[in-house]
Amino acid sequence: MNEFYQKDIISIKDFDKAQLEQIFVSTEKIMKLNPIERREICKGNTLGYLFYEPSTRTRLSFDAAMASVGGNSLGISNISTSSTQKGESLADTVKIMSIYSDVLVLRHPLDGSSRFASEVSSKPVINAGSGTEEHPTQAIQDLFTIRKEKKKIDGLKIGIIGDLKYGRTVYSLLYGLGNYDVDVHLISPESLRIRSDSVYEIKKKLSFTESINIEEYIDELDVLYVTRIQKERFPDEEEYLKVKGSYVVGLDLLQKMKDDSIILHPLPRLDEISTDVDHTKHAKYFEQAEYGKYTRAALLGLILNENGF
Amino acid sequence: MQESELMVRRIKEGTVLDHIDEGKGLQVLNALRIDGKDGSLITIALNVPSGKFKKKDIIKVENKFLKDDDTNKLAVIAPKATINIIKDYKLVEKRRVSLPNEIDRIFRCSNPDCITNSTEHIESVMDVIDKEGRVLKCRYCARVLDVNKLKYN
Ligand SMILES: Nc1ncnc2c1ncn2[C@@H]1O[C@H](COP(=O)(O)OP(=O)(O)OP(=O)(O)O)[C@@H](O)[C@H]1O
Ligand SMILES: [Mg+2]
Ligand SMILES: [Zn+2]
Repeated sequence: MNEFYQKDIISIKDFDKAQLEQIFVSTEKIMKLNPIERREICKGNTLGYLFYEPSTRTRLSFDAAMASVGGNSLGISNISTSSTQKGESLADTVKIMSIYSDVLVLRHPLDGSSRFASEVSSKPVINAGSGTEEHPTQAIQDLFTIRKEKKKIDGLKIGIIGDLKYGRTVYSLLYGLGNYDVDVHLISPESLRIRSDSVYEIKKKLSFTESINIEEYIDELDVLYVTRIQKERFPDEEEYLKVKGSYVVGLDLLQKMKDDSIILHPLPRLDEISTDVDHTKHAKYFEQAEYGKYTRAALLGLILNENGF
Repeated sequence: MQESELMVRRIKEGTVLDHIDEGKGLQVLNALRIDGKDGSLITIALNVPSGKFKKKDIIKVENKFLKDDDTNKLAVIAPKATINIIKDYKLVEKRRVSLPNEIDRIFRCSNPDCITNSTEHIESVMDVIDKEGRVLKCRYCARVLDVNKLKYN
């Protein structure tokens, strides 16, 4: 029996290096199969999604992943959590959805919502982003991309730039990287530095430096992970514009980077990576999106097949 | 027992919470909801000299015997406390408090965005990740919690 069979995927912190490797190997396998073989893996299975926050990308990625392994998806993607809208409890919605489907995918703004959902659901629950810190499938996708493109993760120097305070992909990635021997450089404006209450836990597993200047380590990096800086996070427009400009990845910055370095982005991108970077060999964010589909497909295949695939 | 310590009248049946960490006495009263509204005798002594340089708080409550939840709260707030059970004016049992591995229900997670603070029907579950250091962690949101800031349900 494979150890992911009927398992909930709640937090990247629940995975060790060997388990991550198992998912990566399964992902490679799925990528090598032809579409017809692939569609046998989850044939006849239904994925039920519940999205309490807008996220077209992640939802589509799960949809595409499930379709690629022969299953189908249904669900609700714009559930309102506003108190004005009197709604069903999360527990009830999850219970109903677990009647209609074989695996649930949940996105919810509250911390711990996925763990709670997994307790009330009769089917396995995959966390597709909950609260401020957890987005385990994004982290798996990111780690797979690094491993695939750099042929390893251990020993790499990884820069993460942008909004490190509010970006949950960043936290999940950092927790995931905690399984590897990597040097991490965090680059952000002062006001968007990583939250101090989380640093305590991350520091136990990972060594990292923090700076506000993108140039500082740029020539050493093997991977530059770029995230979006959201305007809403700033008190005034002027401050936002000032910061935004200094964190744009363009061709001039690429010149300073190692020849074999790669640039990643969880997408959607605004203008933090200029489009002329897209044509360079450094740009791997579209591959990253594709790998996201296959890592999710692999996870679904493992969760839904007792003996793997 | 030294007579100098027995500042007020003895209680017949009840509990003496002794060796409460200095300054935590009022917090213990609040957490254990000891408010005297049922009319029973309560004696509170704060900053009682204890040992050479130290001080402690003492609470004596008639007709109250602690439940597990109360003991757990006490262990979080005042880890050095002693629970003395009095029956017919005599001390019949003395216990030190100690933290369990897990504390359910009694504390509220201090993360306002935690699912346990939502309208869902769900009770808090906290894992004690460090008994010495009294470090708790919410099992749902995984937030490491500052014991001094915990609110009771
Ligand atoms: N009948 C009583 N009414 C009120 N308080 C009492 C009664 N009997 C004992 N106590 C109090 O209970 C506490 C424990 O009593 P004990 O005789 O064990 O004192 P002790 O030897 O100083 O204990 P410890 O070693 O825990 O400090 C003391 O604070 C004492 O004043
Ligand atoms: Mg004494
Ligand atoms: Zn919590």
